[in-house]
Amino acid sequence: MEKIPKIICVTGGKGGTGKTLVAVNLATMFKNEGKKVLLIDGDVENPNTFLLLSGKLENKKNVPFFKPKIIEKKCTKCGLCAENCAPHALLHIKDTYPIPILAMCSGCRLCYKICPTGAIEEDYKIVGWTYFTRVDGISLLLGELKPTEARSASIVEVLLEEVGKIIENEPEKYDYIILDTAPGAHCDVELLIDKADKVIPVTEPTIFGKLDLLRIIELIGLLDKDFRVIINRSSLSGYKDQFLREMEELNIIILGDIPLDDDIVISYCQGKPLMDENSEFKGGVGYHSFQKIFENLKQWLKSKG
Amino acid sequence: MIEKRKIVGIVSGKGGVGKTSLTASIANLTKNDIDIRSIVLDCDVDAPNLALILPANSTDHIETIETFTTLKATFDKEKCTHCKECIDGHFCEFHALKWNNSYEIPEVDYLLCEGCGACKVLCPEHAFVINKVKSGEIIHYKSNIGIPVVYGKTRIGSTTSGKLVSDVKEFTTEIESFEDSDLILIDGPPGIGCPVIATISGLDYIIAVTEPTPSGLHDLIRVIEVVEQFKIPFGIVINKYDLKSPFQDQFQSFIEETGYEVLGRIPYDLAIPEAMSYAKTVVEHAPQSKASLAIKEIYKNLKDLLWNNIAY
Repeated sequence: MEKIPKIICVTGGKGGTGKTLVAVNLATMFKNEGKKVLLIDGDVENPNTFLLLSGKLENKKNVPFFKPKIIEKKCTKCGLCAENCAPHALLHIKDTYPIPILAMCSGCRLCYKICPTGAIEEDYKIVGWTYFTRVDGISLLLGELKPTEARSASIVEVLLEEVGKIIENEPEKYDYIILDTAPGAHCDVELLIDKADKVIPVTEPTIFGKLDLLRIIELIGLLDKDFRVIINRSSLSGYKDQFLREMEELNIIILGDIPLDDDIVISYCQGKPLMDENSEFKGGVGYHSFQKIFENLKQWLKSKG
Repeated sequence: MIEKRKIVGIVSGKGGVGKTSLTASIANLTKNDIDIRSIVLDCDVDAPNLALILPANSTDHIETIETFTTLKATFDKEKCTHCKECIDGHFCEFHALKWNNSYEIPEVDYLLCEGCGACKVLCPEHAFVINKVKSGEIIHYKSNIGIPVVYGKTRIGSTTSGKLVSDVKEFTTEIESFEDSDLILIDGPPGIGCPVIATISGLDYIIAVTEPTPSGLHDLIRVIEVVEQFKIPFGIVINKYDLKSPFQDQFQSFIEETGYEVLGRIPYDLAIPEAMSYAKTVVEHAPQSKASLAIKEIYKNLKDLLWNNIAY
């Protein structure tokens, strides 16, 4: 039995290598073949998928995050909460009520759980939002961190809870789920890769691209996932030969490459996917490179291991 | 003589718009500026790349300090009475505790554990211990152009990028060259989250790099919202300003309407990736290229803004 839905995670380590470009166009190509696709924007610090699709952000939902509320009439000022708060998010001065410092709070709820007099209640602040929308036959679920908030992982967790619900309750709803991650190799990226069946790191043939690719591959290895690499801006020549040689030495499989192409920049800025059914760029080198990538991807999905 | 040390951060929201190339190029320009003694930091601890274009002299001493600021829970099965209270009582808000049915003991998921210590405090048998584990490294060296470089590198799978950023900044105040330095340049991480907030807090000035694309602008607006919260003055650098983009007009008119300080515009110039392939900054590799001239202008504007024409 084939597992449905198949989850493909597009990531990359370095910023600006074309993760979102690839994620949006893969979703578009699956849709063109009549597949049911859910695209998840997990780059919650800077979610940009909707811009590339000219989608409207709809069905906004708040993402709440725990904050302690001190009930002064129950508080004995004992200081136990502050004493046990590892990130020092509660300030207690002798004989005064504890003061929460929300920027430091990890949300562990330990203060709420250990207060001997029940003087700490659960309260919430909004740290971001999720949106769900449909654009041209693609379902889009997007997370957004509220600027000035730090806890981006809590938004990613909400997105992944949604994925969990879909897989449990209605696995037939989508054939493919495509995850777009943030740059870097931190916990937001890690949470998304961990959910995937296949991982596609997008890189570029520069020394920056290579170093960051090797770091993301280390993370992918730690999570024991199957991956293949896309090389974007593959016509940048200076470092390319050495780059390809090193990929070969490390037995890294290349899924395909995308050359520098004005069509890509134009479609990106117009907010119309290059691979749209009615694309004005059919026949261009960029268009052709994505077709090839898509064929290779389908082969890979069919193969075992 | 410059009167007061300034700390400048380079951020962008969107990744890959040229933060590191710009930081390293400005650093290179300070080399021939007798007024300015600079130190360069790379706070993109998830993907630190600055050292690739500001490498150390092979003869120079490279100092590496391991950081142990990540906290993780470990479990002592000798003390466990299999009460399962840790699971039933939801000790862990981060889903890092899982019940092993065959041994009837909890297991700690290392990747999910935040080290908050709730399990340690709540377990009636005190079977959990919180340990400091290696979170990353801070690397300090003198670069081949003579400017000190400090950067952080997270250990893959450890979850504390923001903390390591603060550690890198803290460490820099203790190095020998800090006392006499005039300009600290910080190459920041992409995004707007925890590591970015840790990077920009306490800075004197921010350079926000962007490009004339919808995502470049969207992410610029988000990072500026964070910068404004900290009340730090900022200026914008538009990279690839002449990009063949149908978004150009919209982008330019937006920037004009906001009245944001524009420090400079860098043209799309293949001299930049070319310089990178030689492990050099563009101002060094191709000093007369269009990009290099633009960056020199940016450096001049930056100095004017930071020190109001004092001393030169």
